[in-house]
Amino acid sequence: MLGFIKKDLFLIKGNMKAVGVMLVVLIGMALFQDINLAFLPSFISVVLFLSTFSYDEYNKWDSYAITLPNGRKHVVGAKYVTTIILLLISVAIASILSIVIGIVRNQLNLEEIVGTMGGSIFAVILLISITYPIIFKFGNEKGRIAMFVITFLGVSLFTILLKSINIPKDMISFLEQYSMILIIIVSILILIGSYILSKHIYEKKEF
Amino acid sequence: MKNVIEIKDLVKKYEKFELGRINLEIPSGCIIGLIGENGAGKTTLIKSILNIIKKEQGSIKLFGQEIGDNNLIQEEIGVVLDNSFFPELLTAKDINSTMKSIYSKWDEKLFRKYIQDFNLPFDKAIKTLSKGMRKKLEIATALSHHPKLLILDEPTSGLDPVVRSEVLDIFLNFIKDEEHTILLSTHITSDLEHIADQIVFIDKGKILLHKDRDELLEEYGILKCSLNEFSMIMPEDIMQYKKNKYGYEILIGDRNKLLKKYANFVIDKITLEELMVLMIKGEKSC
Repeated sequence: MLGFIKKDLFLIKGNMKAVGVMLVVLIGMALFQDINLAFLPSFISVVLFLSTFSYDEYNKWDSYAITLPNGRKHVVGAKYVTTIILLLISVAIASILSIVIGIVRNQLNLEEIVGTMGGSIFAVILLISITYPIIFKFGNEKGRIAMFVITFLGVSLFTILLKSINIPKDMISFLEQYSMILIIIVSILILIGSYILSKHIYEKKEF
Repeated sequence: MKNVIEIKDLVKKYEKFELGRINLEIPSGCIIGLIGENGAGKTTLIKSILNIIKKEQGSIKLFGQEIGDNNLIQEEIGVVLDNSFFPELLTAKDINSTMKSIYSKWDEKLFRKYIQDFNLPFDKAIKTLSKGMRKKLEIATALSHHPKLLILDEPTSGLDPVVRSEVLDIFLNFIKDEEHTILLSTHITSDLEHIADQIVFIDKGKILLHKDRDELLEEYGILKCSLNEFSMIMPEDIMQYKKNKYGYEILIGDRNKLLKKYANFVIDKITLEELMVLMIKGEKSC
């Protein structure tokens, strides 16, 4: 699988300059304004990662890739693994930045940083878990549309639910206490389910 | 001679096109040219052999083993597809690093040698390369893990004559090892007249003809006659014919025999291109 991961990382390498510029702008803004950098990980990994699907599709990489040893098996796995690697790197960068900015602005709140980073990891994993099988099945274009629809619906639903449902107090304290563990377990389960589905789709797919 | 590729009763159906039934055996140590017009089924056949598309019926064996996601087979084949390769942001250097982790027998030295011999840049993105250079990079990539079988879909299309002849020399060099085999599809039939040992002619999803190149070019001929003379040719000697402004071009099967029978007529050796045109576009004798 390493070869396919390398190929995706080489592809992303070309976009690093643009990401660097955006990062500098965001840091600049965060230093002077009250901006939460929690969305940074999801932003970087999703933008970078969707671009690899576009390049693959443009050069019809998949037909070629599946003639390579373990192609059908490893192309899908490599996409998931590379996304997770990227996600973790961007979470690390965003956490360090948030801490540094918190110290500079004298507003450091570690608990909040951990909470928002956890939330953003969960959001990205949920997003890719739904989007990737759609991309593998219907192609990049439809996958992108699905991603926007899911994000929009997800955020709207979540907001409506929060407003309309009274969550019992003991449930809130339970969630607060175990939120990180819950997020990790649910994320892993969703991700595994999505990977199995994508792999199944890809194994049957014709190019 | 061992068969490298064995296809039995292969059928693949699409809404408007059907490939099959295909039965084909390809021995090791030779170059097989797959010819046919656009849409005849050449790419469908190649994609079936490579398991890029799934067959509906029949069996396809490479090196005696049923295809599928079989690593042993995939390690032994080198592939050049029409318009399908690494994403164009990558460089030859990236491809080398990637392939090192994909093929167990990837030979970095050999790859670098091909890159040097073909005058290709190691550090420039594929998108900056000309079409000929891209093709050479694809061929270098296909050759650098010491494959035994090359499967090439239109490897010379869009190349200028100089690059084409360079590429054909690479293939001839590859085939010097008797365990090596090449299956290549092309509509540039003149290439095959120089290098192919056998010709497989495919039309409307079916194999019309599978013969040794020399036998084919020796056996078939083209008889040219005027409009008035056409009636003097026996219908049983006419395989296909085509009428043009000045007369008829007739595809004949047993050239040496008919040379004597029609001593007053011009009977030329046939080229693969003429054979293709007459077989596809010609009319059948009534």
